[in-house]
Amino acid sequence: MASHGLAYDGCNFFRQRLVLSTLSGKRVKIKNIRSKDDDPGLRDFEASFIRLLDKVTNGSRIEINQTGTVLFYQPGLLSGGPVEHDCNTQRSIGYYLEALLMLAPFMKTPLRATLKGVTNDPLDPTVDLLKSTALPLMKTFGIDGEGFDLKVVKRGMAPGGGGEVVFTCPVRRTIRPVQLTDPGKIKRIRGVAYSVRVSPQMANRLVESTRSILNKFIPDIYIYTDHMKGANSGKSPGFGLTLVAETLNGSFLSAEMSSTPQGQGGPILPEDLGRNCAKMLLEEVYRGGCVDSSNQSLALLLMTLGQQDVSKVLLGPLSPYTIEFLRHIKDFFQTMFKIEVQKPSEDERKGGDKVLMTCVGVGYSNINKTIK
Amino acid sequence: MEMKEQKRHQQKHSGPKVEKKKLKRQGGSAEDDERKRNPKAFAVQSAVRMAKTFHRAQDIKTKKHHIPLVDRTPLEPPPVVIVVVGPPKVGKSTLIRCLIKNFTRQKLGDICGPVTVVSGKKRRLTFMECNNDINTMIDLAKVADLVLMLIDASFGFEMETFEFLNICQVHGFPRIMGVLTHLDSFKNNKTLRKTKKNLKHRFWTEVYQGAKLFYLSGMVYGEYQTQEVKNLGRFISVMKFRPLVWQTSHPYVLVDRMEDLTDPERFRTDPRCDRTVSLYGYLRGTHLKNKGQVHIPGVGDFEVADVNFLPDPCSLPDAQKKRALNEKERLLYAPMAGVGGVVYDKDAVYIDLPASHVKQQQEEVRPTTELVQSLIDTHATVDAKMAASEVSLFSGSATLDPADIDEQMKEEEQAWDPNTQRNRRKVVFAEKEEGSDVSGSSDEDEDDESDDGDQEEDEDEDNLSTFLKEARAKSDTSKKNVREPPQVKKQKLEERKEEIPVFADSEDELEMSEEEGEKQSASEEEEEEEQGKYTVFAEFILLFLSTGALKWKDGLQQKASEAFLRQQEADPNLRKLVYGPVVEAENGAGEEEELGGLFRVSRPQNSKKVQANAFDCSRFHPDTSHNWDLEEMLNSIRDCFVTGKWEEGQDAATLLKEDEELYGDFEDMETGEVHKGQTGQQDPNSENDDHDDEVEERLVKANDDEVQKKKRMEKKRRLKERFDAEYDDGDATYFDDLKEEMQKQAELNRAEFEDVDDGTRVQYEGFRPGMYVRLEIPSLPCEFVTNFDPHYPIILGGLSSSEGNIGYLQMRLKKHRWHNRILKTRDPLILSLGWRRFQTIPLYHIEDHNGRHRLLKYTPQHMHCGASIWGPVTPQGTGFLAVQSVANFRIAATGVILDLDKSVTVVKKLKLIGYPSKIFKNTCFVKVGKPLFTSVYPIGISVSMIPKIGLARYD
Repeated sequence: MASHGLAYDGCNFFRQRLVLSTLSGKRVKIKNIRSKDDDPGLRDFEASFIRLLDKVTNGSRIEINQTGTVLFYQPGLLSGGPVEHDCNTQRSIGYYLEALLMLAPFMKTPLRATLKGVTNDPLDPTVDLLKSTALPLMKTFGIDGEGFDLKVVKRGMAPGGGGEVVFTCPVRRTIRPVQLTDPGKIKRIRGVAYSVRVSPQMANRLVESTRSILNKFIPDIYIYTDHMKGANSGKSPGFGLTLVAETLNGSFLSAEMSSTPQGQGGPILPEDLGRNCAKMLLEEVYRGGCVDSSNQSLALLLMTLGQQDVSKVLLGPLSPYTIEFLRHIKDFFQTMFKIEVQKPSEDERKGGDKVLMTCVGVGYSNINKTIK
Repeated sequence: MEMKEQKRHQQKHSGPKVEKKKLKRQGGSAEDDERKRNPKAFAVQSAVRMAKTFHRAQDIKTKKHHIPLVDRTPLEPPPVVIVVVGPPKVGKSTLIRCLIKNFTRQKLGDICGPVTVVSGKKRRLTFMECNNDINTMIDLAKVADLVLMLIDASFGFEMETFEFLNICQVHGFPRIMGVLTHLDSFKNNKTLRKTKKNLKHRFWTEVYQGAKLFYLSGMVYGEYQTQEVKNLGRFISVMKFRPLVWQTSHPYVLVDRMEDLTDPERFRTDPRCDRTVSLYGYLRGTHLKNKGQVHIPGVGDFEVADVNFLPDPCSLPDAQKKRALNEKERLLYAPMAGVGGVVYDKDAVYIDLPASHVKQQQEEVRPTTELVQSLIDTHATVDAKMAASEVSLFSGSATLDPADIDEQMKEEEQAWDPNTQRNRRKVVFAEKEEGSDVSGSSDEDEDDESDDGDQEEDEDEDNLSTFLKEARAKSDTSKKNVREPPQVKKQKLEERKEEIPVFADSEDELEMSEEEGEKQSASEEEEEEEQGKYTVFAEFILLFLSTGALKWKDGLQQKASEAFLRQQEADPNLRKLVYGPVVEAENGAGEEEELGGLFRVSRPQNSKKVQANAFDCSRFHPDTSHNWDLEEMLNSIRDCFVTGKWEEGQDAATLLKEDEELYGDFEDMETGEVHKGQTGQQDPNSENDDHDDEVEERLVKANDDEVQKKKRMEKKRRLKERFDAEYDDGDATYFDDLKEEMQKQAELNRAEFEDVDDGTRVQYEGFRPGMYVRLEIPSLPCEFVTNFDPHYPIILGGLSSSEGNIGYLQMRLKKHRWHNRILKTRDPLILSLGWRRFQTIPLYHIEDHNGRHRLLKYTPQHMHCGASIWGPVTPQGTGFLAVQSVANFRIAATGVILDLDKSVTVVKKLKLIGYPSKIFKNTCFVKVGKPLFTSVYPIGISVSMIPKIGLARYD
């Protein structure tokens, strides 16, 4: 057998590498993970991520050296099925879920993952955001139907956690190509203002301040207030807001903000948070595109894994994470994207430059699925 | 007997019958009359029956449908692979020779390896002869588009024929055409007819009803009759082929040329060392990505070091309106058989000069002057390419000493294939330029020199090569010119090493004006810009930080974000930003690490170290420069909302107006009132107005005309759409929609990269089928070269990313009905699966009603059973074939892959006899084994007491 492993340095873009390795079947070796750090090696959340990966696959080989600075990963096959995982509270569930979203359509049996931990924190995309943007995005690639759902059962805010989400996803053999070149105009804005273990008034205050900014653009705004109580409210207090703008052509742009975790930094007023979050949504609208900035890599991955046809998607400016993801796609699948910049014309008031990404799918087929 | 002159039929022109007929012709059809006249006969007799007939009709209708697929055939398809199969002495080589003669008017002696010919304006054919060897048959069945199955009519069908048919069935059924030969051995006409008929019907049952069977009646001077061969050729050149699943989802190359590139020195010291080999052929199937994995049946899996596309050696004629090919366009390309004229390599051109080995007829076809002309042309371009690659290497902030390049070329020069006994002459590239050598190691130089000397001795006799050398010298000087500046630049780089990555980002004017003072000359600057390719935005910031120069510190983030935005503005920049300089990186793959011992090429991978352990988060934090409290900022996105301004064509007001135009006029049928659309009424008025103001508005109008025309076109399109929707969609089914969607996708696929040049296109979509490619494979076992026999096909089968792994395969298997023994579990079998042939140990099992797989000792006689093997991962649904021994019928079993996994559960009923030794709670420990053996195993079995009887139950 010819060797076809890839080697990387450092723990940055850790998830990308492992996810792409699992999908492509190429083994990967990551060296020098925080080797110069005072506290070298993998962190707990990364170890937890590896454990999750081990749960959804069958036959993967993971070797970590004594200090945890070198990781060797030989992927197995994705098995899926019911999976329960306690996510480390250093990172929120979004960190784990982002990877699972990429893997879930290619399992042997439909995935039903129960993830426990922090549902909302200021660092990672929260589960609410992924639910309202990533899921509809995946639907455009033909991953839909019954049992494609992300449910927040319990909400757990940052330091303590105690939240729970259930993610179910059907399996697909192939992914269909997409042409998302026209985002259309924004027709409505929806959102969720959540609060746990604080006064339920917080959510209302959030809504009010948000509307004060967004009402200048569009009247169709509805922000749900979600106040969870008792057993469903996790271990730490906090509140936050997720905003989603839906366009006529069915693309979603989103922004979100959470209160600073208990005991980390000064408190934040819900009014400020609401206003800032609304501004972030405006920023996201300014960036534009058919896919919002946190889901760019998911869209690009699904385009790559499509059939051998041309896929196109219009994005806002590429985030550094996406740029790295593109490089990794090239490493693992040898696919390059044609990147064209679309400048807005003079009199158009549609935000900044857009990037049109075009690629030919690799003709990936789900080798894990059983046929009868 | 004499034939009677028959009376002709006389048509009646009068009478009741004629009247009736006339009536019929004029009025409604007879059927209608019948229905009217005799309604009872056509009444519904039974609703059930009617439902059944309806169902049946619908079933038949839908059965005709195939799932529509996106048409991915390239515009210039690769040659069709025609495999000629049959038992020995049936006339395979003769047939190929005759067909080649038919298409190209050339005679080929020995059919050795694939032979490619141009058969028409749009079609090329590759003929390949298949030995009577099951491995060859298996390999060729996987790549064949058309199989010419030769059958010796005097003997009848032979086992090989049926074996081959079964192989084909498993690996996707290519087109099969039977050819009966040896028909002249029949003396009796009646037996001939009978045999023909018998053979035909047997052939039909095996292939399909009505499969074409050709008859080659006899030999004339050792060749088949011209007319018959011509007919066969016509059949072949108009034949249509169905896409086969495996072939359309994998790239593959039927190798028609092989060169050994191993360093002769290594080869001399260790004759059994692994070889570096370049393989050539037309790419078929689907797109091939560079640096992929390929499987060579019979050899193994290999990583491809490099893929290039070469000019087509057997190209189709230029698209012109004419009826037939002229003599020059009927090309023949068979390098393994020693025919091919000019042979292109990555950086060299080989010519076949007529020597004693070469057959006479080749000269006639190829005019030498033209040959030389083409040679020089290519020579120059290759040279230019070399120069270009050098410059780009320099820009990578590292110097590449010319010795490196020369050495690389050396390797290519030494590539002499001992197997092809040809007098080949090579255009020599590398005359040494000692002058320009700066940092090359001296021993390497010496090596090169001595080798060069050898080469030149050969070359000197030939004035052609001297001519070429002159050309070479000319281009050399130009190359030197290119080479000079980097030497200067090298020092410059040293001086400004720190800041370079910061500035290096290319075409942006703003940045340049800032650092104007530092720039010396424009030409150098251009080269420095190239370095920008290597820098990455993220590092960009970090390098800013690390330089620590004070003047950078103020407004750091501002600058970085500005830089980023500017990076995004220019298109090529963005691509470089993301992928780095792809072309260069690929060209210099081997020597990118340390060049000249001084500098490192800053590939993104290397320079990334700074941020290697950064925070891993997908969030894209907003640009701080945007202040969303400002009104102008808010205004900048106003049109993103439905409340904002709409585009010209989509504005609600215009849409409404258009609707009015379309549907403005209507007549109320009840009242008879006629409503006129407003525009209709106003039109004459406005026209009049126009007329009045014509003089003034002439200028404006000229401009307006364009707009008006566009509008009209738009309106027409919309009307057409409406019409289509109204009339076609009525019976447009899901199937039709799907078909249309596929059609659209196919068009998009074609159009997307149409105007991109091949070099760039290859990077985006991979090498497309139809290209003539060269694959370089390092570390092939030496046996591949030493035992190379062009009569055996060499196939490079591309593997998708996960197909290089191994796992457990579960498959459905059935013993072949002609194999006379059942198969035993754990008996080794040779499987042909995907591209591979491999030996494995299968476990046969059958699924019980409770879903568990129970081990079988033997395969069932006539039933399918499951089989589990440890083998290469292959997509589900792929067919496979098992061979066990060389018996009278060699195919042992066939089947299909169902599932892939890394573990498999097959259970087996175990009977163990022992006695209980101790009971602990619900577990009974039983000692198993014969008392004679000392090793006795306690086995834990859960025990529950069955009440009353007092027996223990062991589960």
